[in-house]
Order: sequence, then C-alpha cells, then structure tokens
Amino acid sequence: MKWITRERPKIDRIACPWLIKNFVDKEAEFIYVPAAQVFDKAAELQAIPYDIPGAEYSHYGDHCTFDYIVQKHAITDPAVLQIATIVRGADTASFHLAPQAAGLWAISAGLSYNFTNDHEQLAIGMKIYDALYSWAKYVQAEKHTWDPDLLK
Amino acid sequence: MKWITRERPKIDRIACPWLIRRFIDKEAEFIYVPFDQVLPEAAKQNAIPFDVPNVQFTHAGPLCTFDALIKEYKIKDDAVHTMAVIVRAADTDRHDLAVQASGLWAISAGLAYNYPNDHELLEKGMLLYDALYSWAKHLQQEKHTQQPFEDLLISVLNRYLKNKPGSKKKTPAWAQELKDIIQDHIDANLSLKELSKGLDINPSYLSREFSRYFENMSFGEYIRKQRIEKAIALMKQPSYSLTEIAYLTGFSDQSHFTRIFKKHTGQNPSVYRKKLVKK
Repeated sequence: MKWITRERPKIDRIACPWLIKNFVDKEAEFIYVPAAQVFDKAAELQAIPYDIPGAEYSHYGDHCTFDYIVQKHAITDPAVLQIATIVRGADTASFHLAPQAAGLWAISAGLSYNFTNDHEQLAIGMKIYDALYSWAKYVQAEKHTWDPDLLK
Repeated sequence: MKWITRERPKIDRIACPWLIRRFIDKEAEFIYVPFDQVLPEAAKQNAIPFDVPNVQFTHAGPLCTFDALIKEYKIKDDAVHTMAVIVRAADTDRHDLAVQASGLWAISAGLAYNYPNDHELLEKGMLLYDALYSWAKHLQQEKHTQQPFEDLLISVLNRYLKNKPGSKKKTPAWAQELKDIIQDHIDANLSLKELSKGLDINPSYLSREFSRYFENMSFGEYIRKQRIEKAIALMKQPSYSLTEIAYLTGFSDQSHFTRIFKKHTGQNPSVYRKKLVKK
C-alpha cells in the first residue's frame, strides 16, 4: 500500500513509516506532500493518509499516531510498546514520559534540519528506529562505563 | 593524521572521531583495533592513540576523551560544549547530567548492535552527531530551559503535577526522586523562580505543592536545611576548610555561609566544628 502524510517529518512521521514497514505492511511506500494536499493526493493515489487531523490514523487525546497503529494492528512486541512511549514523549514534548524522549527529540530535530529531502531523512530515520528497537529488545540492560579491566 | 583506538566503539569512540573530523583534522583517518594492539599499532603506523588509559587523549576524573580533545584544541563553539555534557553523561553512565543522554545512549547502543563493522557504525554515527550538533546549534532554544539539571527537575515535577494532587497519604515516588536529586546537586544554584518559569506555573503555587511533601518547608527552606546538614557532615572531615565547605554546599561566600549557619544552629561554624570534633 501507499501511505501519505505531511511533508517535513520530525518524529511521528518517521517513526510510523518504520512501524508500518516492519510490523504492518512490508511493501509499504511512503509519500510526503504539503499538508493542504494530503487528502486530495490520498484519493488520487489510493494512499492511506496518516498523522493528519481528520485521518483515521492520527492523534487521539495524548496518544500519537504511532500509538494508534500499535493499537489498531494489535502489536504486542514489548520493545515496540516501549518505543511507543518514547515516541509519544518526543512527539508531544512530554519528555517526562520516557528518559530517552529528550535525546530522540534532539537527534530527530537535528536530522530534520540537516536533511531537507524527506526521503533521505526517512532513510536515516529508519536506521535510528532500527537502533532503538535493537536497544529495547536486546541491550537495554547494558550500562556503559569504562571496563575496569582496562584500568588495571 | 591517523587516529587509533579500541574496536567496538559506542559513544566516546564515535563522538571523538566526529569532533576530530569536524573541528580538528578534516583528513583524519580512524583505525579500530583490539585493546592490546592500540599502543603497538599506534607506534607502528604513527597514529595518535585515544580513549585508552595512559595516553594524552583519554578519560580524566569525571571527564571523558571528548572533553580532553575540546580542552587541548581550545574548541569554543557553544554547541560543542552542549554536546560535551551529553556525550560525557552517556559515556560515563551519568544520565542525570543531561536529559538527552539516555536517548543518545539507547540509539548508540542499538546502532552498535546492528552494525558489527566499526567503520559502517562510524559512518552512521557521524550522521547522528551531525544531527545532535544542528540541534545544539540551532534548535535547542525551542525548549523551556537550557540547563540539563533543571530540565530533569522540571520533568520530575511535571510528572507529579500531572498526577492530580489529591491524596496526601504517603510520600509519592516523585517526591523521593526530587529529594535525591536535590541531595546530589546541593552545590548547584537551584532557584524556584527558574523552575517555575520552566514549568510555566506560578512560583507560589509550586512552592505550596512542594511543601506538602517536604516537611511543610518552602523550597528555599528545604534547600537551606539540606545545605546545612551537608555542611555539618563535611565538618567531620578535617581535610576540608570552612571556605571549601561553604563552596561545596552551594553558598556564594563564607560570610553568607556563616550567617545562615548561625541562624539555623545558633552557633558560628568554627565554634560548632570544635564541639563536633570533641565529641
């Protein structure tokens, strides 16, 4: 399927494509257009509009579009649920929701600043969320300090 | 130049190459080898070793190798200094130093897991630190406050204020957390005004909410009490002078310290200390 949203993504419009591609629709193709054109283009291209008021896939209360996809597609992977909280914290500027939210926000805001091409930004953004996922799934118990053996 | 360090980088051994290439040596080439080969290979290849013990560019006390490079090359860019705190916090597992540290750590640890090839990892890491730099340089003012520690306090208080103040039964987790933070940062300049500005709420309201769980004391009273208690604890160690104690407990100068101390205990610090030693 095609999925369409507003251009110049930062958090949710990068995190959602990652979630869709990995957990909902492997063949998904992503389109970014100016906000005013999302619904027209969605009809024209038979694409699913997301992360825009008026679409089914959008924010509900303090939950963001990422949360809605998790719920709608009954995704239960604990690592994804943890990422959902981080994404919500970063996307809604509620950094108290997850310790990782402020850092994700800083890095995402900087990426958006550095990459003016939305698809280039999406490509590197996918790697950021792959990394968050691997951290949440496999290495989050790990702490980082100097190996005491080095100091012998 | 060639620069050499231990293989399997995570934070400092990615952030330093970024710093070197962007601010010190555009042509820098980076080599990652097993720990025991760093120094022999450095000699053989005429490379600069970094982030291993006993070389010029390495950890020193609480500072990491990123800090050492900034100092040696006198890098003045404020955005780099902002990044230094975040890198140090993530690299030395002191996530309390900067709110961005936990996120940087999570993403870096995940990248290291996903890219077993150190040079591929470095390539992705360069993009990561370029992004962090752009944020620090151009976008961080979008936030309420700049000071990482205050951000942390604000996030704890925010969490509490969101949890509707209703029942007063037992000390909630946020209050304990806040107490611990204050304890850890008693030498810093904490102001309720700054905190309430960051929270965008009235200082007197914050003060009232605060005193509900802090022995009915105001923010200022509580901080002063903590400072005096820490001062008394430090007095038991003969190696500290009273001037040092005043500094370590966040007083602007010794006369201020003496005045407040006397108000709380009824005695001058020097008299109090003599009695303390006799006991």
